[in-house]
Amino acid sequence: MSKQPQKITGTWQDDPAHFRNANVSRRGFLTVGALCGVGSLNLADMFRLQHAQADLKTYDKFPATAKSVIHIYLPGGMAHQESFDPKPFAPIEYRGEMKQVQTKISGELFGETLVATAGVADKLCVVRSMTHGEAAHERGTHNMYTGYRPSPALQFPSIGSVVSLQYGPRNNLPTYVCIPGMPNEFAGSGYLSSAFSPFSLGSDPAQGGFKVKDLNLPTGIDDSRFTTRKNVLAAVNDYFAKKEKSDDLAAMDTFYDRAYSLISSPAAREAFNIEAEPAPVRDEYGRGTAGARMLLARRLVQSGVRLVNLTFGGWDMHGQIIQGFKNQMPEFDKAFSTLITDLERTGLLKETLVMVSSEFGRTPKINGTAGRDHWPKVFSVVLAGGGIKGGKIFGSSNSTASEPEEEAIGPQDLFTTVYHCLGINADQEMMAPGDRPIEIIDGGAVRKELLA
Amino acid sequence: MNLRITFLAAILFTAISGAASAQDVTVAELRVFPPAVNLATSKDRQLMVVQAVYSDGITRDVTAQAQMTLANPALVRREANTFWPAVDGASELKVEFAGKVVMVPVKVEKAAAQRDISFKLDVMPIFMKAGCNTGSCHGAARGKDGFRLSLFGFDPNGDHFRLTRELSGRRIDLAVPAASLVVEKSLGVVPHTGGKRFTPESELNQELVRWITVGCPNDAAEIPTVTGVEIYPKQAVLDGEGETQQVTVVATYSDGTDRDVTGLALFLSNNDNSASINEAGVVKAGARGEAFIMARFSTFTVGSQYIVLPKGLKFSFPAQQPVNYVDELVNAKLTKLRITPSGICSDEVFLRRIYVDLVGLLPTTEEYTKFLADPAPDKRAKLIDELVNRKEFTEIWVGKWAEWLMIRTTNQVAYKPMLLYYNWLSDQVGKNVPLDKMVQELLGASGGTFKVPQTNYYQNERDTLKVSENVAQVFMGMRIQCAQCHNHPFDRWTMDDYYSFSAFFSQVGRKGAEDYRETIVFNSGGGEVAHPVGGRVMAPKFLGGDVAQVAGKDRRDVMAAWLASPQNPYFAQNFANRVWEHFFGVGIIEPVDDVRVSNPPSNPELIVEFGKKFTASNYDFKLLVKDICKSQTYQRTTERNESNMTDERNFAHATLRRIKAESMLDCITLVTGTKDKFPGLPLGARATQIANGSTSTYFLTTFGRATRETVCSCEVKMEPTLSQALHLLNGDTVNQKMAAGGLIDKYLAEKLEPLVIVERFYIACLSRKPTPAEIENFKPLFVAGSDAKKGLEDVFWALMNSREFLFNH
Repeated sequence: MSKQPQKITGTWQDDPAHFRNANVSRRGFLTVGALCGVGSLNLADMFRLQHAQADLKTYDKFPATAKSVIHIYLPGGMAHQESFDPKPFAPIEYRGEMKQVQTKISGELFGETLVATAGVADKLCVVRSMTHGEAAHERGTHNMYTGYRPSPALQFPSIGSVVSLQYGPRNNLPTYVCIPGMPNEFAGSGYLSSAFSPFSLGSDPAQGGFKVKDLNLPTGIDDSRFTTRKNVLAAVNDYFAKKEKSDDLAAMDTFYDRAYSLISSPAAREAFNIEAEPAPVRDEYGRGTAGARMLLARRLVQSGVRLVNLTFGGWDMHGQIIQGFKNQMPEFDKAFSTLITDLERTGLLKETLVMVSSEFGRTPKINGTAGRDHWPKVFSVVLAGGGIKGGKIFGSSNSTASEPEEEAIGPQDLFTTVYHCLGINADQEMMAPGDRPIEIIDGGAVRKELLA
Repeated sequence: MNLRITFLAAILFTAISGAASAQDVTVAELRVFPPAVNLATSKDRQLMVVQAVYSDGITRDVTAQAQMTLANPALVRREANTFWPAVDGASELKVEFAGKVVMVPVKVEKAAAQRDISFKLDVMPIFMKAGCNTGSCHGAARGKDGFRLSLFGFDPNGDHFRLTRELSGRRIDLAVPAASLVVEKSLGVVPHTGGKRFTPESELNQELVRWITVGCPNDAAEIPTVTGVEIYPKQAVLDGEGETQQVTVVATYSDGTDRDVTGLALFLSNNDNSASINEAGVVKAGARGEAFIMARFSTFTVGSQYIVLPKGLKFSFPAQQPVNYVDELVNAKLTKLRITPSGICSDEVFLRRIYVDLVGLLPTTEEYTKFLADPAPDKRAKLIDELVNRKEFTEIWVGKWAEWLMIRTTNQVAYKPMLLYYNWLSDQVGKNVPLDKMVQELLGASGGTFKVPQTNYYQNERDTLKVSENVAQVFMGMRIQCAQCHNHPFDRWTMDDYYSFSAFFSQVGRKGAEDYRETIVFNSGGGEVAHPVGGRVMAPKFLGGDVAQVAGKDRRDVMAAWLASPQNPYFAQNFANRVWEHFFGVGIIEPVDDVRVSNPPSNPELIVEFGKKFTASNYDFKLLVKDICKSQTYQRTTERNESNMTDERNFAHATLRRIKAESMLDCITLVTGTKDKFPGLPLGARATQIANGSTSTYFLTTFGRATRETVCSCEVKMEPTLSQALHLLNGDTVNQKMAAGGLIDKYLAEKLEPLVIVERFYIACLSRKPTPAEIENFKPLFVAGSDAKKGLEDVFWALMNSREFLFNH
């Protein structure tokens, strides 16, 4: 794993200009001084830059237990009480009216809509003591995509972009793919170059006749003709490339290189072809949104994508929470349990980390409109595979699911642990604009109890 | 290779500047801060700062070296550079340094009297200075570890209650004040998640204990409030790493008194790398660059600009005659920073740049030939005058306005009113209606969304608070959202400001009209906004201005009359900044809709001047555009030199900017000679003309067209993505248009030589002719026996995929 090419040519990584040249529009929150590392690049500056890079905390990568990640995000803030952390003995206004099912972990219950998932609970690690302090959607989402609290001064990169930076592409596929598209602004590359931003499919795999746009050469253009075109394009670009330097330009070059390798590899393109899956497998996952997205995610990690992010449903259930769960959860249940079984069956679960998360949980008490409101103080995250211990309940919330009781864990520790599984020490620093070294995660610890 | 040249040049540069030695610099000016010393009551004091400004622009803190003598030395007691009151009276302080003298008036009153400790004036600042009430500590919405303070002290009475009444007896020990938990926690003598915040000897601790000793009183209802804060010095140019500068901070109060709050203010730097500041207010220079040093006290944040230069740098600004005030002010800043600007771009580059920026299209071959052949020295200015009168120019700005006004169909806005709204906007921009008139008509509008389509403004967003946030963000460039729940952490806005501003929009009435698609927006004359803390009804008050007289009037009319007028300084500046951003890719304030104290303009003089000129011209938008485009600053090359290599904010060179989605599609359509069909528009319409934000195509979405769901300037996305590359390489836009346009067949039928056709495509796409080296490269495509058509297709395709095509440069 650690032998993978990490340096992506044509990006800011080998362009010293990047360290002087902040991409202004993308780092909007930074203010004037930080952006204008004013001055000439004299020798002393050059040494200082090299020195600064040498000063970055770096660590060797170590053998990863997870070669890929499937991140399933349930936007809106999924109630932990109705899903992975029911409280059947709490008063009715806390526990709600939904029933529970027994899981494969003895004595542990899930919400009644998670029947099939309860059956694969022995493969899962349910974190019931997740906690952070952000009760607004965008702020909570930021936490759960980056492992950082939002800052007015810096836009942090998402885990997918960090993985893109740490590991280059594999098998000509994009490193980081979002199904169906980038779900929110925090899933992007933050202060890193936009070369590390996700590849968006542009259409939903659940739709009939789904095809990722523009993967195949246009009709009438064969490989040799395309090679000619590439050469002509290189000739045209040459004049400009010698003259101009900018972060966006370098990123555009990178994307053209990526596009070339994707186009020229039939195997890579085939990864996106969900139609190639046998009908029984498609039925097993379910033909709906959740099923199609998770099945495609499996195809992608199987072929070489390192991090797939997918979203499903809307979980901001301020009212009528029972109906909300009954409408959406069965589809998730079918797809997710199949994904786990399928990964196990194909031997991929060992090397694929699956994470189910949401920006926060929901209030302990049912509110006046039979729903629950935002509650970041405690909620649940589910992990599986890729070096994570199966059949484990990690931490707990108190009797009314309102605070962590044991083993409270914040986004820092969660992400540090996931990075650890990926063979990345999250204490490592990356360079933000203005020569500012920033840790991948600031002050997180690997929670060994989560590891297999 | 490039890099090596840079290295060599860098070595040379260093050698030259190193060889020259600093000499012949004299003190040009002596500045003493604060300008007057007023000491009242025994605890008052004043820290003096003396700054010398040298003839080369460098400043030094010479407080220690300067001679300070008071005419009547008995009045004060001096400790280092701080003066304490001793005896009542008035005198003058004479400050001398290097032959310069400055006199500062000194007044001492009630020297023997002790001022009673005040919770709001003395204790609340402690929580801010020590970081207790920040969002990550007790200022969090639910507090921290069981104790909550209001975030940045927006609710002092609530804080007093929680300290003294909540968990009675736990936090305060009246019998042994120093043993109070709030004190012990702060000193770190008992376990405290936040650790030790201050020492027992510190004044913060002594004041806190003194307040408990006198019985933890809250203040009487009427006490003086802070009316302003000043940080001195206002500006500094530091010569090399390690240079220091002490700051002094003075707060003024509503009773006319002032106070040295250097010890109580919270200090921040927006760029620690170049200049950092410690708790005592000492700024220390770091790497070359620019930093904004801020002091926060009460609800005020103030800042001053620090420039750090390499020690002993030699510099002279190139002799250039500025074209207008834009150049004068930009060059002034560059001189301060010792940056040499890039040269003026060639006619070819200028032609392409100005076309893309002003009309969103590329110059045609005829326009290209005509312009290059024109010998007139003022042909650039003439072209600018000509282009701003084209309808495409209007359409670009209508498109921008449509983004700011979120023009799109929604559940509330049907297609018909949306279109009428868009047409109203086109009409206003097309007639160059003065901006103040247009905005007043927009925000004060009443009537049906068909008949008075600008009332759709209140349909696109119907929430009172959201509407007021949007108005502030679009027309003043300010994000006041933070102040909905707590005082703005990095700006002056308080919750009071926020809710009293939204009170202008609390009486917007809406009712259905005959046609179900129409809504009538009217002044309902009733409805108030209550402050969430305490439920006070808030009287409408202009943001940063006075309470408005709204009795018997439509509140929105009153608001709009103030908003779009010289009384509101932000209005003209905000719009000028947005226009500037269009031409430079980065605003003078960046992002353009995040104006706040802690996000200062890169060139304050320039933005102020723009505000003045724009107002004075009766908000003549076209004149503003012409001033910008005719300046040398706009017409510089993108190629950088040694000194402006790293600069991104001071407009010392032109910047590479990807062409916006709509314009890019229009350019591809233009050069391929094809026509587009968009919903609701005739065949041949351009993407820039699409009225509805909800209408899009794969191309436009992929290249980041704004969805117009929010007013944020971040809606338009300019970042490159893999999907964009794939689409240009394989997608239907380039390939199909190339076939549909049939230009290659046409030219071949005209029996043109392939290389002549290549030159035509080069001019059409890149506004330049191919270089001889490029021609050589293409020759093999057209050797005898090869398919010329295929070769031409490949070149044309490559041109539309080239970076030079995708970027404006």
